[in-house]
Amino acid sequence: MAGLLEIRGLSKRFGGVYASRDVSFDVDAGAIVGLIGPNGAGKTTLFNLATGFLMPDAGEVRFDGREVTGLRPDVLSRRGIARTFQILKPFARLTVEENVMVGALARGDSMAEARAAAQRCLELVGIGHKAADLARNLSTGQRKRLEMARAMATRPRLLLLDELTGGVDQPSIPGLIELVARLRGEGITLLVIEHNMRVIMGLADKVVFLHLGEKLAEGAPAEIARHPAVVNLYLGSRHA
Amino acid sequence: MRFAPAVLIVLLAAYPLVATLPFPQHIVIMALLFATMGTAWNILGGLAGQVSIGHAVYFGIGAYTAAYFYKHFALSALATWPLALLISTAASVVIGLPTFRLRGHYFVLASVFIMQAVYVIVSNSATLGAGIGLELPVYRAKDWTDALWHLQFRDSKLPFYYAALVLFVAALGTFEWIRRRRLGLILTAVREEEDAARSLGVDTMRYKLVALIVSAAFTTLCGMFYAHYVQYVEPISTTSLVVSIEIAFIAIFGGIGTVWGPTLAAFVIIPLTELLRAYLSGRIAIGLAGTLQDGGLLAYLKYYAAGGGGQIDLLIYGLIIILIARFQPRGMLGFFRRLD
Repeated sequence: MAGLLEIRGLSKRFGGVYASRDVSFDVDAGAIVGLIGPNGAGKTTLFNLATGFLMPDAGEVRFDGREVTGLRPDVLSRRGIARTFQILKPFARLTVEENVMVGALARGDSMAEARAAAQRCLELVGIGHKAADLARNLSTGQRKRLEMARAMATRPRLLLLDELTGGVDQPSIPGLIELVARLRGEGITLLVIEHNMRVIMGLADKVVFLHLGEKLAEGAPAEIARHPAVVNLYLGSRHA
Repeated sequence: MRFAPAVLIVLLAAYPLVATLPFPQHIVIMALLFATMGTAWNILGGLAGQVSIGHAVYFGIGAYTAAYFYKHFALSALATWPLALLISTAASVVIGLPTFRLRGHYFVLASVFIMQAVYVIVSNSATLGAGIGLELPVYRAKDWTDALWHLQFRDSKLPFYYAALVLFVAALGTFEWIRRRRLGLILTAVREEEDAARSLGVDTMRYKLVALIVSAAFTTLCGMFYAHYVQYVEPISTTSLVVSIEIAFIAIFGGIGTVWGPTLAAFVIIPLTELLRAYLSGRIAIGLAGTLQDGGLLAYLKYYAAGGGGQIDLLIYGLIIILIARFQPRGMLGFFRRLD
Protein backbone atom coordinates (compact mmCIF):
# COMPACT_ATOMS: atom_id res chain seq x y z
CA MET A 1 0.00 0.00 0.00
CA ALA A 2 1.33 3.44 -0.90
CA GLY A 3 1.71 6.04 1.83
CA LEU A 4 -0.70 8.91 2.45
CA LEU A 5 2.22 11.23 1.73
CA GLU A 6 4.88 10.14 -0.75
CA ILE A 7 8.08 12.13 -1.10
CA ARG A 8 9.82 11.15 -4.33
CA GLY A 9 13.36 12.33 -5.14
CA LEU A 10 12.80 15.87 -3.85
CA SER A 11 15.65 18.29 -4.54
CA LYS A 12 15.92 21.99 -3.79
CA ARG A 13 19.00 24.15 -4.15
CA PHE A 14 19.63 27.59 -2.73
CA GLY A 15 22.49 29.10 -4.71
CA GLY A 16 24.94 26.22 -4.97
CA VAL A 17 23.87 24.50 -1.74
CA TYR A 18 21.45 21.59 -1.64
CA ALA A 19 18.87 22.17 1.06
CA SER A 20 17.26 18.96 -0.09
CA ARG A 21 18.89 16.34 -2.29
CA ASP A 22 16.99 13.47 -3.82
CA VAL A 23 15.00 12.76 -0.67
CA SER A 24 12.39 10.00 -0.79
CA PHE A 25 10.23 8.44 1.89
CA ASP A 26 6.61 7.57 2.66
CA VAL A 27 4.32 8.56 5.49
CA ASP A 28 1.72 5.81 5.92
CA ALA A 29 -1.84 6.66 6.83
CA GLY A 30 -2.34 6.69 10.60
CA ALA A 31 1.39 6.72 11.37
CA ILE A 32 3.56 9.14 13.29
CA VAL A 33 6.79 9.71 11.38
CA GLY A 34 9.68 11.59 12.96
CA LEU A 35 12.00 13.79 10.94
CA ILE A 36 15.34 14.34 12.65
CA GLY A 37 18.71 15.78 11.79
CA PRO A 38 21.12 18.46 12.94
CA ASN A 39 20.65 22.16 12.19
CA GLY A 40 20.75 22.81 8.46
CA ALA A 41 19.76 19.22 7.62
CA GLY A 42 16.88 20.44 5.44
CA LYS A 43 13.96 19.44 7.65
CA THR A 44 12.06 22.70 7.39
CA THR A 45 12.91 22.94 3.67
CA LEU A 46 11.29 19.54 3.24
CA PHE A 47 8.18 20.81 5.08
CA ASN A 48 8.08 23.87 2.85
CA LEU A 49 8.40 21.68 -0.27
CA ALA A 50 5.63 19.35 0.93
CA THR A 51 3.23 22.18 1.83
CA GLY A 52 3.68 24.33 -1.27
CA PHE A 53 5.70 27.15 0.29
CA LEU A 54 8.67 26.17 -1.89
CA MET A 55 8.78 24.77 -5.42
CA PRO A 56 11.17 21.80 -5.78
CA ASP A 57 13.86 21.83 -8.48
CA ALA A 58 13.23 18.13 -9.03
CA GLY A 59 11.12 15.30 -7.67
CA GLU A 60 7.49 15.02 -6.73
CA VAL A 61 5.12 15.08 -3.79
CA ARG A 62 2.12 12.77 -3.84
CA PHE A 63 -0.77 12.99 -1.43
CA ASP A 64 -3.43 10.32 -1.21
CA GLY A 65 -2.20 8.82 -4.47
CA ARG A 66 -2.31 12.06 -6.48
CA GLU A 67 0.57 14.28 -7.49
CA VAL A 68 0.42 17.62 -5.67
CA THR A 69 3.91 18.98 -6.42
CA GLY A 70 4.00 22.77 -6.52
CA LEU A 71 0.37 23.34 -5.62
CA ARG A 72 -0.23 26.47 -3.53
CA PRO A 73 -0.26 26.16 0.29
CA ASP A 74 -3.94 27.11 0.53
CA VAL A 75 -4.90 24.50 -2.08
CA LEU A 76 -2.93 21.82 -0.22
CA SER A 77 -4.56 22.87 3.03
CA ARG A 78 -7.99 22.38 1.51
CA ARG A 79 -6.86 18.96 0.22
CA GLY A 80 -6.07 17.97 3.81
CA ILE A 81 -2.43 18.87 4.55
CA ALA A 82 -1.98 21.12 7.58
CA ARG A 83 1.22 22.39 9.19
CA THR A 84 2.66 24.38 12.05
CA PHE A 85 5.65 26.71 11.83
CA GLN A 86 8.98 26.46 13.62
CA ILE A 87 8.94 30.23 13.99
CA LEU A 88 5.44 30.49 15.44
CA LYS A 89 3.07 32.65 13.43
CA PRO A 90 0.04 33.49 15.56
CA PHE A 91 -2.38 36.18 14.34
CA ALA A 92 -1.13 38.31 17.20
CA ARG A 93 -3.93 40.88 17.40
CA LEU A 94 -6.75 38.38 17.06
CA THR A 95 -8.10 36.41 19.99
CA VAL A 96 -7.13 32.77 20.43
CA GLU A 97 -10.62 31.73 19.35
CA GLU A 98 -10.49 33.94 16.23
CA ASN A 99 -7.09 32.48 15.33
CA VAL A 100 -8.58 29.01 15.22
CA MET A 101 -11.78 30.16 13.48
CA VAL A 102 -9.72 31.27 10.45
CA GLY A 103 -8.82 27.65 9.74
CA ALA A 104 -12.49 26.63 9.79
CA LEU A 105 -13.69 29.69 7.84
CA ALA A 106 -11.27 28.96 5.02
CA ARG A 107 -13.02 25.60 4.67
CA GLY A 108 -16.27 27.45 4.06
CA ASP A 109 -17.77 27.25 7.55
CA SER A 110 -20.17 29.95 8.74
CA MET A 111 -19.12 32.12 11.70
CA ALA A 112 -21.24 30.03 14.10
CA GLU A 113 -19.83 26.74 12.77
CA ALA A 114 -16.30 28.13 12.91
CA ARG A 115 -16.79 29.26 16.51
CA ALA A 116 -17.99 25.79 17.51
CA ALA A 117 -15.08 24.17 15.64
CA ALA A 118 -12.64 26.52 17.34
CA GLN A 119 -13.96 25.66 20.77
CA ARG A 120 -13.62 21.94 19.99
CA CYS A 121 -10.06 22.29 18.69
CA LEU A 122 -9.00 24.49 21.62
CA GLU A 123 -10.35 21.93 24.11
CA LEU A 124 -8.54 19.20 22.18
CA VAL A 125 -5.16 20.91 22.59
CA GLY A 126 -5.94 21.98 26.14
CA ILE A 127 -6.18 25.78 25.89
CA GLY A 128 -9.97 26.12 25.80
CA HIS A 129 -9.80 28.47 28.80
CA LYS A 130 -7.67 30.92 26.77
CA ALA A 131 -10.23 31.41 23.97
CA ALA A 132 -10.90 35.09 24.69
CA ASP A 133 -7.24 36.11 25.19
CA LEU A 134 -5.26 37.88 22.50
CA ALA A 135 -2.87 35.44 20.85
CA ARG A 136 0.11 37.69 21.55
CA ASN A 137 -0.43 37.23 25.29
CA LEU A 138 0.15 33.45 25.19
CA SER A 139 3.32 31.70 26.38
CA THR A 140 5.48 29.83 23.84
CA GLY A 141 4.02 26.47 24.90
CA GLN A 142 0.49 27.81 24.56
CA ARG A 143 1.33 29.28 21.16
CA LYS A 144 2.49 25.85 20.01
CA ARG A 145 -0.82 24.44 21.10
CA LEU A 146 -2.60 27.31 19.36
CA GLU A 147 -0.82 26.49 16.10
CA MET A 148 -1.95 22.88 16.44
CA ALA A 149 -5.55 23.89 17.22
CA ARG A 150 -5.56 26.21 14.20
CA ALA A 151 -4.21 23.46 11.95
CA MET A 152 -6.78 21.00 13.32
CA ALA A 153 -9.59 23.44 12.51
CA THR A 154 -8.86 22.88 8.80
CA ARG A 155 -9.88 19.23 9.40
CA PRO A 156 -6.64 17.80 8.02
CA ARG A 157 -5.77 14.21 7.24
CA LEU A 158 -2.05 14.89 7.49
CA LEU A 159 -0.47 17.26 10.01
CA LEU A 160 3.13 18.41 9.76
CA LEU A 161 4.53 19.65 13.08
CA ASP A 162 7.69 21.73 12.85
CA GLU A 163 9.66 21.50 16.12
CA LEU A 164 7.19 19.95 18.52
CA THR A 165 9.09 20.72 21.73
CA GLY A 166 11.60 23.34 20.55
CA GLY A 167 11.70 26.38 22.81
CA VAL A 168 9.37 24.79 25.36
CA ASP A 169 10.32 24.31 29.03
CA GLN A 170 11.01 20.73 30.20
CA PRO A 171 7.86 20.30 32.33
CA SER A 172 5.64 21.08 29.30
CA ILE A 173 7.15 18.35 27.11
CA PRO A 174 5.18 15.31 28.39
CA GLY A 175 1.94 17.20 27.79
CA LEU A 176 2.90 17.92 24.17
CA ILE A 177 3.84 14.25 23.62
CA GLU A 178 0.51 13.19 25.04
CA LEU A 179 -1.20 15.72 22.76
CA VAL A 180 0.41 14.28 19.63
CA ALA A 181 -0.76 10.82 20.67
CA ARG A 182 -4.25 12.23 21.12
CA LEU A 183 -4.16 13.79 17.63
CA ARG A 184 -3.25 10.40 16.20
CA GLY A 185 -6.24 9.03 18.09
CA GLU A 186 -8.37 11.53 16.15
CA GLY A 187 -7.29 9.72 12.98
CA ILE A 188 -4.62 12.23 11.95
CA THR A 189 -1.42 11.12 10.25
CA LEU A 190 1.59 13.02 11.57
CA LEU A 191 5.02 14.03 10.29
CA VAL A 192 6.97 15.58 13.15
CA ILE A 193 10.25 17.48 13.16
CA GLU A 194 11.87 17.02 16.55
CA HIS A 195 15.32 17.69 17.98
CA ASN A 196 14.84 15.85 21.23
CA MET A 197 15.81 12.21 20.48
CA ARG A 198 14.09 10.90 23.59
CA VAL A 199 10.81 12.53 22.56
CA ILE A 200 10.83 11.21 19.01
CA MET A 201 11.95 7.69 20.04
CA GLY A 202 8.94 7.32 22.30
CA LEU A 203 6.48 8.73 19.83
CA ALA A 204 7.31 7.78 16.26
CA ASP A 205 6.54 4.57 14.36
CA LYS A 206 9.28 5.46 11.91
CA VAL A 207 12.12 7.96 11.89
CA VAL A 208 13.76 9.61 8.86
CA PHE A 209 17.22 11.03 9.45
CA LEU A 210 18.41 13.92 7.29
CA HIS A 211 21.87 15.46 7.12
CA LEU A 212 22.93 18.33 4.81
CA GLY A 213 19.83 17.84 2.69
CA GLU A 214 20.25 14.10 2.19
CA LYS A 215 18.42 11.19 3.75
CA LEU A 216 21.06 9.17 5.62
CA ALA A 217 18.76 6.68 7.30
CA GLU A 218 15.16 5.60 7.66
CA GLY A 219 13.68 2.98 9.94
CA ALA A 220 12.20 2.08 13.31
CA PRO A 221 13.26 4.43 16.13
CA ALA A 222 15.43 1.78 17.79
CA GLU A 223 17.33 1.09 14.56
CA ILE A 224 17.88 4.78 13.92
CA ALA A 225 19.17 5.27 17.48
CA ARG A 226 21.88 2.66 16.75
CA HIS A 227 22.70 3.91 13.25
CA PRO A 228 26.40 4.91 13.10
CA ALA A 229 25.73 8.23 11.29
CA VAL A 230 23.13 9.24 13.85
CA VAL A 231 25.29 8.26 16.80
CA ASN A 232 28.22 10.09 15.25
CA LEU A 233 26.34 13.31 14.57
CA TYR A 234 24.25 13.44 17.70
CA LEU A 235 26.52 11.96 20.35
CA GLY A 236 30.00 12.48 18.93
CA SER A 237 32.21 9.85 17.30
CA ARG A 238 33.77 8.48 20.50
CA HIS A 239 30.40 6.92 21.36
CA ALA A 240 30.25 5.02 18.07
CA MET B 1 -21.97 54.82 22.96
CA ARG B 2 -24.33 52.46 21.17
CA PHE B 3 -26.31 55.34 19.74
CA ALA B 4 -23.27 57.47 18.94
CA PRO B 5 -23.32 56.64 15.19
CA ALA B 6 -27.02 57.49 14.90
CA VAL B 7 -26.52 60.75 16.82
CA LEU B 8 -23.59 61.68 14.59
CA ILE B 9 -25.59 61.05 11.43
CA VAL B 10 -28.51 63.13 12.70
CA LEU B 11 -26.15 65.98 13.63
CA LEU B 12 -24.49 65.83 10.22
CA ALA B 13 -27.88 65.80 8.51
CA ALA B 14 -29.01 68.84 10.50
CA TYR B 15 -25.78 70.81 10.07
CA PRO B 16 -26.44 72.44 6.66
CA LEU B 17 -29.88 73.54 7.83
CA VAL B 18 -28.16 75.54 10.57
CA ALA B 19 -24.98 76.50 8.75
CA THR B 20 -26.58 77.93 5.63
CA LEU B 21 -23.57 79.75 4.16
CA PRO B 22 -21.75 78.03 1.28
CA PHE B 23 -18.26 77.96 2.80
CA PRO B 24 -19.13 76.18 6.08
CA GLN B 25 -21.13 73.67 4.02
CA HIS B 26 -18.24 73.23 1.60
CA ILE B 27 -15.86 72.42 4.45
CA VAL B 28 -18.04 69.61 5.75
CA ILE B 29 -18.70 68.29 2.23
CA MET B 30 -14.94 67.95 1.74
CA ALA B 31 -14.55 66.39 5.20
CA LEU B 32 -17.29 63.86 4.37
CA LEU B 33 -15.65 63.11 1.02
CA PHE B 34 -12.28 62.41 2.63
CA ALA B 35 -13.85 60.52 5.53
CA THR B 36 -15.49 58.29 2.91
CA MET B 37 -12.23 57.74 1.04
CA GLY B 38 -10.23 57.21 4.23
CA THR B 39 -12.77 54.63 5.38
CA ALA B 40 -12.72 52.90 1.97
CA TRP B 41 -8.91 52.89 2.01
CA ASN B 42 -9.07 51.38 5.48
CA ILE B 43 -10.84 48.27 4.13
CA LEU B 44 -7.72 47.41 2.14
CA GLY B 45 -5.06 49.14 4.24
CA GLY B 46 -6.47 48.65 7.71
CA LEU B 47 -8.24 45.30 7.58
CA ALA B 48 -6.16 43.49 4.95
CA GLY B 49 -2.94 45.36 5.81
CA GLN B 50 -2.14 46.31 2.21
CA VAL B 51 -0.89 49.91 2.35
CA SER B 52 -1.70 51.52 -1.00
CA ILE B 53 -0.29 54.92 -1.93
CA GLY B 54 -2.03 54.61 -5.28
CA HIS B 55 -5.70 55.10 -4.52
CA ALA B 56 -5.77 58.29 -6.60
CA VAL B 57 -5.94 55.93 -9.60
CA TYR B 58 -9.48 54.94 -8.58
CA PHE B 59 -10.40 58.50 -7.64
CA GLY B 60 -9.20 59.51 -11.11
CA ILE B 61 -11.21 56.74 -12.79
CA GLY B 62 -14.36 58.09 -11.17
CA ALA B 63 -13.56 61.75 -11.82
CA TYR B 64 -12.60 61.29 -15.46
CA THR B 65 -15.44 58.90 -16.29
CA ALA B 66 -17.92 61.42 -14.91
CA ALA B 67 -16.26 64.40 -16.64
CA TYR B 68 -15.71 62.74 -20.01
CA PHE B 69 -19.23 61.41 -20.46
CA TYR B 70 -20.85 64.58 -19.15
CA LYS B 71 -18.76 66.82 -21.36
CA HIS B 72 -19.25 64.82 -24.58
CA PHE B 73 -22.61 63.08 -24.13
CA ALA B 74 -24.32 65.07 -21.36
CA LEU B 75 -24.51 61.83 -19.36
CA SER B 76 -24.09 62.49 -15.66
CA ALA B 77 -22.75 60.14 -13.00
CA LEU B 78 -26.30 58.96 -12.42
CA ALA B 79 -26.02 57.20 -15.78
CA THR B 80 -22.31 56.36 -15.87
CA TRP B 81 -21.67 54.99 -12.38
CA PRO B 82 -22.04 51.34 -13.44
CA LEU B 83 -19.47 51.90 -16.17
CA ALA B 84 -17.10 53.64 -13.74
CA LEU B 85 -17.40 50.78 -11.25
CA LEU B 86 -16.75 48.31 -14.05
CA ILE B 87 -13.56 50.17 -15.03
CA SER B 88 -12.56 50.48 -11.37
CA THR B 89 -13.05 46.75 -10.80
CA ALA B 90 -11.09 45.85 -13.93
CA ALA B 91 -8.29 48.20 -12.86
CA SER B 92 -8.30 46.66 -9.36
CA VAL B 93 -7.78 43.19 -10.82
CA VAL B 94 -5.14 44.29 -13.35
CA ILE B 95 -3.22 46.22 -10.68
CA GLY B 96 -3.85 43.76 -7.84
CA LEU B 97 -2.82 40.53 -9.55
CA PRO B 98 0.87 41.44 -9.95
CA THR B 99 1.29 43.78 -6.95
CA PHE B 100 -0.37 41.60 -4.31
CA ARG B 101 2.44 39.10 -4.84
CA LEU B 102 4.71 41.70 -3.26
CA ARG B 103 4.98 42.07 0.49
CA GLY B 104 5.40 45.05 2.79
CA HIS B 105 7.36 47.98 1.46
CA TYR B 106 7.57 46.53 -2.03
CA PHE B 107 3.80 46.61 -2.34
CA VAL B 108 3.74 50.24 -1.20
CA LEU B 109 6.37 51.19 -3.80
CA ALA B 110 4.56 49.31 -6.57
CA SER B 111 1.33 51.15 -5.77
CA VAL B 112 3.17 54.49 -6.05
CA PHE B 113 4.84 53.59 -9.36
CA ILE B 114 1.60 52.42 -10.98
CA MET B 115 -0.18 55.54 -9.81
CA GLN B 116 2.61 57.73 -11.24
CA ALA B 117 2.43 55.88 -14.54
CA VAL B 118 -1.33 56.52 -14.69
CA TYR B 119 -0.67 60.18 -13.87
CA VAL B 120 1.78 60.53 -16.75
CA ILE B 121 -0.61 58.79 -19.15
CA VAL B 122 -3.57 60.96 -18.15
CA SER B 123 -1.44 64.13 -18.26
CA ASN B 124 -0.55 63.35 -21.87
CA SER B 125 -3.85 62.03 -23.12
CA ALA B 126 -5.54 64.47 -25.50
CA THR B 127 -8.85 62.65 -25.02
CA LEU B 128 -8.72 63.43 -21.31
CA GLY B 129 -7.62 67.02 -21.84
CA ALA B 130 -3.98 66.30 -20.95
CA GLY B 131 -2.55 68.67 -18.32
CA ILE B 132 -5.43 71.12 -18.66
CA GLY B 133 -8.10 68.57 -17.86
CA LEU B 134 -11.81 68.44 -18.59
CA GLU B 135 -14.47 70.96 -17.73
CA LEU B 136 -18.04 69.87 -17.04
CA PRO B 137 -20.14 72.43 -18.90
CA VAL B 138 -22.49 74.58 -16.84
CA TYR B 139 -26.13 73.73 -17.45
CA ARG B 140 -29.24 75.76 -16.62
CA ALA B 141 -31.76 73.22 -15.41
CA LYS B 142 -35.43 73.66 -16.32
CA ASP B 143 -36.85 72.02 -13.20
CA TRP B 144 -35.63 69.93 -10.28
CA THR B 145 -35.74 66.55 -12.07
CA ASP B 146 -33.71 68.09 -14.87
CA ALA B 147 -31.29 69.49 -12.30
CA LEU B 148 -31.00 66.12 -10.62
CA TRP B 149 -30.28 64.38 -13.91
CA HIS B 150 -27.52 66.86 -14.68
CA LEU B 151 -26.37 67.07 -11.07
CA GLN B 152 -26.32 70.85 -11.34
CA PHE B 153 -28.13 72.86 -8.69
CA ARG B 154 -27.00 76.45 -9.31
CA ASP B 155 -26.01 77.92 -5.96
CA SER B 156 -27.37 75.27 -3.63
CA LYS B 157 -24.84 72.92 -2.08
CA LEU B 158 -27.50 70.93 -0.22
CA PRO B 159 -27.92 68.12 -2.80
CA PHE B 160 -24.15 67.56 -2.86
CA TYR B 161 -24.01 67.75 0.92
CA TYR B 162 -26.56 64.98 1.33
CA ALA B 163 -25.05 62.90 -1.46
CA ALA B 164 -21.70 63.08 0.37
CA LEU B 165 -23.43 62.11 3.60
CA VAL B 166 -25.01 59.06 1.93
CA LEU B 167 -21.64 58.00 0.47
CA PHE B 168 -20.03 58.42 3.88
CA VAL B 169 -22.65 56.38 5.74
CA ALA B 170 -22.49 53.67 3.07
CA ALA B 171 -18.69 53.43 3.30
CA LEU B 172 -18.70 53.38 7.09
CA GLY B 173 -21.48 50.79 7.13
CA THR B 174 -19.64 48.62 4.61
CA PHE B 175 -16.41 48.81 6.61
CA GLU B 176 -18.15 47.80 9.83
CA TRP B 177 -20.16 45.09 8.09
CA ILE B 178 -17.01 43.53 6.61
CA ARG B 179 -15.06 43.90 9.86
CA ARG B 180 -17.60 42.00 11.91
CA ARG B 181 -18.04 39.13 9.50
CA ARG B 182 -16.21 36.21 7.98
CA LEU B 183 -14.50 38.39 5.36
CA GLY B 184 -13.14 40.78 7.99
CA LEU B 185 -11.69 38.02 10.14
CA ILE B 186 -9.98 36.40 7.16
CA LEU B 187 -8.61 39.77 5.94
CA THR B 188 -7.23 40.48 9.41
CA ALA B 189 -5.54 37.07 9.42
CA VAL B 190 -3.94 37.93 6.07
CA ARG B 191 -2.71 41.21 7.57
CA GLU B 192 -1.32 39.61 10.72
CA GLU B 193 0.52 36.59 9.23
CA GLU B 194 0.07 36.00 5.54
CA ASP B 195 1.91 32.65 5.43
CA ALA B 196 -0.04 31.27 8.37
CA ALA B 197 -3.28 32.29 6.65
CA ARG B 198 -2.16 30.51 3.47
CA SER B 199 -1.27 27.37 5.42
CA LEU B 200 -4.80 27.40 6.84
CA GLY B 201 -6.34 27.33 3.37
CA VAL B 202 -6.90 31.03 2.75
CA ASP B 203 -6.54 31.99 -0.91
CA THR B 204 -4.84 35.27 0.07
CA MET B 205 -4.79 36.68 -3.46
CA ARG B 206 -8.54 36.30 -3.81
CA TYR B 207 -9.30 37.98 -0.50
CA LYS B 208 -6.91 40.87 -1.15
CA LEU B 209 -8.57 41.40 -4.53
CA VAL B 210 -12.03 41.47 -2.95
CA ALA B 211 -10.82 44.05 -0.40
CA LEU B 212 -9.28 46.17 -3.17
CA ILE B 213 -12.36 46.01 -5.41
CA VAL B 214 -14.67 47.19 -2.60
CA SER B 215 -12.19 49.85 -1.46
CA ALA B 216 -11.65 51.06 -5.04
CA ALA B 217 -15.40 51.15 -5.76
CA PHE B 218 -16.07 53.70 -3.02
CA THR B 219 -13.02 55.72 -4.06
CA THR B 220 -14.30 55.74 -7.64
CA LEU B 221 -17.74 56.97 -6.53
CA CYS B 222 -15.99 59.73 -4.58
CA GLY B 223 -14.14 60.69 -7.76
CA MET B 224 -17.44 60.94 -9.65
CA PHE B 225 -18.88 63.04 -6.84
CA TYR B 226 -15.86 65.33 -6.91
CA ALA B 227 -16.08 65.85 -10.70
CA HIS B 228 -19.69 66.99 -10.53
CA TYR B 229 -19.14 69.03 -7.39
CA VAL B 230 -16.12 70.96 -8.66
CA GLN B 231 -17.19 70.72 -12.34
CA TYR B 232 -13.57 70.51 -13.36
CA VAL B 233 -11.07 67.66 -13.28
CA GLU B 234 -7.35 67.78 -14.03
CA PRO B 235 -4.53 65.35 -13.23
CA ILE B 236 -3.03 67.10 -10.20
CA SER B 237 -6.23 67.23 -8.20
CA THR B 238 -7.48 63.75 -9.12
CA THR B 239 -4.90 61.12 -10.02
CA SER B 240 -1.72 62.47 -8.46
CA LEU B 241 0.65 61.45 -5.69
CA VAL B 242 -0.72 64.29 -3.55
CA VAL B 243 -4.25 62.87 -3.65
CA SER B 244 -2.94 59.32 -3.03
CA ILE B 245 -1.08 60.51 0.04
CA GLU B 246 -4.07 62.50 1.31
CA ILE B 247 -6.32 59.42 1.15
CA ALA B 248 -3.87 57.11 2.92
CA PHE B 249 -2.89 59.88 5.35
CA ILE B 250 -6.46 60.34 6.58
CA ALA B 251 -6.75 56.65 7.45
CA ILE B 252 -3.25 56.16 8.84
CA PHE B 253 -3.25 59.18 11.10
CA GLY B 254 -6.80 58.71 12.23
CA GLY B 255 -5.99 55.20 13.36
CA ILE B 256 -5.33 52.48 10.82
CA GLY B 257 -7.84 49.65 10.91
CA THR B 258 -10.20 51.46 13.29
CA VAL B 259 -13.84 52.22 12.46
CA TRP B 260 -13.84 55.90 13.44
CA GLY B 261 -10.20 56.86 12.92
CA PRO B 262 -10.45 58.03 9.28
CA THR B 263 -13.60 60.02 10.06
CA LEU B 264 -12.01 61.72 13.03
CA ALA B 265 -8.90 62.59 11.01
CA ALA B 266 -10.94 63.89 8.07
CA PHE B 267 -13.01 66.16 10.31
CA VAL B 268 -9.90 67.58 11.98
CA ILE B 269 -7.53 67.87 9.03
CA ILE B 270 -9.82 68.88 6.16
CA PRO B 271 -11.39 71.91 7.91
CA LEU B 272 -7.92 72.90 9.13
CA THR B 273 -6.43 72.85 5.63
CA GLU B 274 -9.47 74.44 4.00
CA LEU B 275 -9.49 77.29 6.52
CA LEU B 276 -5.74 77.83 6.33
CA ARG B 277 -5.85 77.71 2.56
CA ALA B 278 -8.61 80.30 2.45
CA TYR B 279 -6.86 82.46 5.05
CA LEU B 280 -3.43 82.33 3.43
CA SER B 281 -4.73 82.77 -0.10
CA GLY B 282 -6.65 85.84 1.02
CA ARG B 283 -3.65 87.29 2.85
CA ILE B 284 -1.32 86.60 -0.01
CA ALA B 285 -3.63 87.93 -2.68
CA ILE B 286 -3.47 91.25 -0.85
CA GLY B 287 0.22 91.43 -0.12
CA LEU B 288 1.92 89.05 -2.53
CA ALA B 289 4.26 91.54 -4.11
CA GLY B 290 5.35 92.88 -0.71
CA THR B 291 6.02 89.53 0.95
CA LEU B 292 8.07 88.33 -1.99
CA GLN B 293 10.37 91.31 -1.67
CA ASP B 294 10.90 90.48 2.02
CA GLY B 295 12.67 87.29 0.98
CA GLY B 296 13.42 84.55 3.49
CA LEU B 297 11.85 81.18 4.20
CA LEU B 298 8.51 82.46 5.43
CA ALA B 299 7.98 84.50 2.29
CA TYR B 300 8.85 81.47 0.21
CA LEU B 301 6.38 79.33 2.13
CA LYS B 302 3.65 81.90 1.71
CA TYR B 303 4.36 82.15 -1.99
CA TYR B 304 4.39 78.37 -2.25
CA ALA B 305 1.09 78.18 -0.47
CA ALA B 306 -0.41 80.81 -2.72
CA GLY B 307 0.37 78.83 -5.87
CA GLY B 308 -3.23 77.71 -6.35
CA GLY B 309 -3.37 77.05 -2.64
CA GLY B 310 -3.05 73.31 -3.29
CA GLN B 311 0.32 72.67 -1.76
CA ILE B 312 -0.32 74.11 1.69
CA ASP B 313 -2.02 70.82 2.58
CA LEU B 314 1.27 69.02 2.30
CA LEU B 315 3.01 71.43 4.65
CA ILE B 316 0.28 70.89 7.22
CA TYR B 317 0.29 67.13 6.70
CA GLY B 318 4.04 67.07 7.22
CA LEU B 319 3.65 68.91 10.50
CA ILE B 320 0.86 66.58 11.66
CA ILE B 321 2.89 63.50 10.67
CA ILE B 322 5.75 64.68 12.87
CA LEU B 323 3.47 65.48 15.81
CA ILE B 324 1.48 62.25 15.60
CA ALA B 325 4.56 60.06 15.13
CA ARG B 326 6.10 61.73 18.18
CA PHE B 327 3.13 61.78 20.54
CA GLN B 328 0.56 59.24 19.38
CA PRO B 329 1.90 56.58 16.98
CA ARG B 330 -1.40 54.68 17.14
CA GLY B 331 -3.21 57.50 15.37
CA MET B 332 -5.46 60.33 16.48
CA LEU B 333 -8.10 57.96 17.81
CA GLY B 334 -5.46 56.92 20.33
CA PHE B 335 -5.92 60.25 22.12
CA PHE B 336 -9.43 59.17 23.04
CA ARG B 337 -8.54 55.72 24.32
CA ARG B 338 -6.82 54.49 27.40
CA LEU B 339 -3.64 52.61 26.57
CA ASP B 340 -4.13 48.89 26.92
